[in-house]
Amino acid sequence: MKKLLISTLLAGVASFGLTFAGAQAADITLHVFVGGNARPDLVTKLLSDFDAKNPGITSKIEVGGATSEQQSNYLNTVLSSQDDAIDVYLVDIVRTSENAAAGWSAPLNKYLGSDPKKFMSRYLAAYSNADVVDGKVIALPFFADAQFLYYRQDLLKKYGLTPPATWDEMIADGKKIEAGEKNPNLTTFSTAGAPIEGTVCTYLVPMWDAGSDLTVNGKLALDTAAAKKPFELFTQLKTEKAIPVNLAEIATDRIRTDFQAGNTVFAMLWVYAYNLFQTQQDSKVKGVVGVGTLPGFTAGKGYTCIGGWQVAVSSFSKHKAAAAKLAMFMASESSSKTLAVSGSLLPVFSTLYKDPDVVKANPWFAGALPVLLSSKARPVTPRYGEVSEALRTNMNAYLAGTKTADAALADMKAKLQPVFGQ
Amino acid sequence: MKISHNVVVWGAAILITVNGFFPALWILFTALKSETELAHIPITWLPQAPTLANFISAFSEQPLLRFTLNSVIVAAGSTVIAVFAGACAAYALVRLRIPGRGLVLSTLLAVSMFPLIALMVPLFQIFRSLHLLNTYMGLILPYSVLSLPVCTLVLISFFQDIPADLENAAMIDGCSRLGALWRVVVPLSTPGILTAALLAFVNSWDEFLLALTINTRLSMRTLPVGITLYQSEYADRWPVVMAALVIAIVPVSLLIALFQDRVVGGLTQGGLKG
Amino acid sequence: MALSELERSERRLGYLLLLPAVLLLATIVVYPVFDLVRTSFYQLNLTTGLLHPRFTGLANYARAFADHQLLESALATILLTVISVPSALVTGLALALLADQVKGARWFVRLALLMPWMLPLVFVGLVFHWFFDYRLGIVNDILVRMGLSALQWLSSPALAFIGISLAIIWKTSAFVAMILLAGLQSIPKYLYEAAEIDGAGTLTKFRYITLPMLRPSILVALIFRTITSIQTFDIPYAMTNGGPGNSTETLAMFVRKTSIDFLDFGYGSALATLMFIGSMLATSVYLKHVQRDAPEG
Repeated sequence: MKKLLISTLLAGVASFGLTFAGAQAADITLHVFVGGNARPDLVTKLLSDFDAKNPGITSKIEVGGATSEQQSNYLNTVLSSQDDAIDVYLVDIVRTSENAAAGWSAPLNKYLGSDPKKFMSRYLAAYSNADVVDGKVIALPFFADAQFLYYRQDLLKKYGLTPPATWDEMIADGKKIEAGEKNPNLTTFSTAGAPIEGTVCTYLVPMWDAGSDLTVNGKLALDTAAAKKPFELFTQLKTEKAIPVNLAEIATDRIRTDFQAGNTVFAMLWVYAYNLFQTQQDSKVKGVVGVGTLPGFTAGKGYTCIGGWQVAVSSFSKHKAAAAKLAMFMASESSSKTLAVSGSLLPVFSTLYKDPDVVKANPWFAGALPVLLSSKARPVTPRYGEVSEALRTNMNAYLAGTKTADAALADMKAKLQPVFGQ
Repeated sequence: MKISHNVVVWGAAILITVNGFFPALWILFTALKSETELAHIPITWLPQAPTLANFISAFSEQPLLRFTLNSVIVAAGSTVIAVFAGACAAYALVRLRIPGRGLVLSTLLAVSMFPLIALMVPLFQIFRSLHLLNTYMGLILPYSVLSLPVCTLVLISFFQDIPADLENAAMIDGCSRLGALWRVVVPLSTPGILTAALLAFVNSWDEFLLALTINTRLSMRTLPVGITLYQSEYADRWPVVMAALVIAIVPVSLLIALFQDRVVGGLTQGGLKG
Repeated sequence: MALSELERSERRLGYLLLLPAVLLLATIVVYPVFDLVRTSFYQLNLTTGLLHPRFTGLANYARAFADHQLLESALATILLTVISVPSALVTGLALALLADQVKGARWFVRLALLMPWMLPLVFVGLVFHWFFDYRLGIVNDILVRMGLSALQWLSSPALAFIGISLAIIWKTSAFVAMILLAGLQSIPKYLYEAAEIDGAGTLTKFRYITLPMLRPSILVALIFRTITSIQTFDIPYAMTNGGPGNSTETLAMFVRKTSIDFLDFGYGSALATLMFIGSMLATSVYLKHVQRDAPEG
């Protein structure tokens, strides 16, 4: 009897102690969703820095699928259930507007101090533009990305060439190199052609280059000569045998492995590839990779697609103020620097491109800034999913030879007209 | 006559082996190649410079064994439930006089016809309110439902083949209906029950979309989702994925094949000749 | 009509035995399906800023019937089903008959039979994608070695269909073989012995004993192959992602894209409901056979 009493007492004390301790420690727990492709290791490090500076807040990382599609599969389910399981999440730049329209990302204006506009102006312009919709700040830039022209410095040097400024020049350079190298596996140029997101840029970049855009003054502009330019460019590349015959099957990382195996002279590819070229054990292009702006139809006019990841705060978070604090920390200059120095991710602040630590870790970043400044955002619309689908499937069908340019354009128009309201 | 039979048997064995193992061998060879060798033109069949680096990466980058364990637990759990519920239902539909049998059967089948992807959001909501997210039960329950129709149907076709007289004889000998089910029907339909179990197991083993959304914690990921984590838009990483497949799939398949051979083989031979 | 005491207790037991299945379905399926069908009558598209569903009656269905992409994806799905279901059945039957012949090292043969099936769908898609790759695939390598020219398997609609079908057949014939093998093993051996005494040859035995005895198993295999074929998603998704253009996009891919990529839940639900009705129609033919087979009890 006595024993029982004591043990009950002890249990009571213990549980009291536990609830007490619990009430103190578990003030706020923030759940941060990060894609497997957005360097979860570095994000974990940032989060522990944040926790150390903010007693009372514990942030926990949740690592999602490694592709943008797997992530949106998941985020879509969670956020459309209005679930509070996620407080802060990383989102692809093309999806920020869609997220805001769906009411998933909370506007951050009131957390950004007295002048949100000034706060946002510190970032590279392309990002502060994409992350502000109707005056509302819907996400903050985390790291930058863009499509670069990668080229084989060794081959260019060997044949006395400089990086091409125009597409014609690139084709001619490729011919010269291929004739000299006599390597049947060598291709002049490679980019994305499979029905994936990257192929949207394969269409848009030459269109921008020709001086137009998908919409002009909010109206769909597919009747212009510029809208046909991408098709003409790729027909030319095809007849000159400057692209792989199976371009319609080529997805992002395949461009990288082909270039890494020494089978490509010029490639249009995102930033991530640079480090892999230099560090992969069996890379055949170590130390001979150059990066620059993409060629244009006329010299000095090349464009590129902007990419990158943004930090958003979920509208369903129960701790929005704390979540916003964390988002601002993740999008701060010091975090951007950490990502650049230890992860070679492009900073979202132009000042960091001259930062000695950043430059020391990534000497080639100096050449990256002009490329970023030449970059344009893909159409910013809540219905980007449909826009992307219309562009990539039709461009892919054209590259595969199953649609003519006119048919592809007509099908694009049919799908995009309802989106842009005409 | 004897020789031609042997030829057929050998031919059969070789055909099945090549069909089943060729892709598996290709997976193994790819797992032993480096990324650059994989991009080499013309392609190499056998790895020219075999490397174990991919296997090391497969083990060190993700908790691969944990993924495998999770998949096995989830698949086994859902198999037990699906086979049990399916066997009960099948028996009720075949032997006991239930009105509206056709309707019950059609409803059951209809369940497996709803495209899973469209049911994801409401399912997620239910599981959230039942606190089943990131638990084994959160996948075991829907997977049992996924396999319930096929299990029931397979077992119906087996139960039908068992002469009702055998049961009646057992019941005359003093068995209850349930006793007869347990002592006569179940042993006689062992191949059916094990087939149903195997079907249910692989159904769960295969599933990707639900697993992606319901169990998001790394330590709760199942194999199909877990292995895709090695890849991204920016990393095809075929050799590492192939190495992970070799490590995860081969042992489990081997265990099942051995189990099938010993247990099923033994039981069918003992059971049906008597 | 009065039931006897025995009949009544049998019926009670019958309901009791159905209970586990009913409970499972009630907890997991009823609400999602109800929610799906209800949503299909609403306009709920998160990208249009319309965050609260608005009842629109049959508008989503009307839109579906005018949508040529639905028609195209339905045709692609039907084509894949018509090619892959019979082929998987024949291949699976052959594999099962062959496996039934092999007596020695049976576990090894079983393993071979199991391998395609144990490889999760997603990875079957990835591996076959690799097989059919233009420059680095083994199929083109063999073609070139034979003096033929390499084919663009994944970027020509006809070839992509063939490639996807082969992957599906390879994976699913193992499923069929497993079901049929179990069926084969439960055929009493005395039937064959009796037929042999009557002087029946191999073909006669196959035609008059094996096939009829396998009928229930074949039906089960066909029903499930058809249902899963209508929901084909992972393999074409991994192999072509619907390309070239939309030519290999299946219904399930279209539904996923509409709901998940375009956030058009109302329309997506209507498409899913239509898909469900389609598979009901397709399998009702089989169901009649199943019900006919069930002995009146």
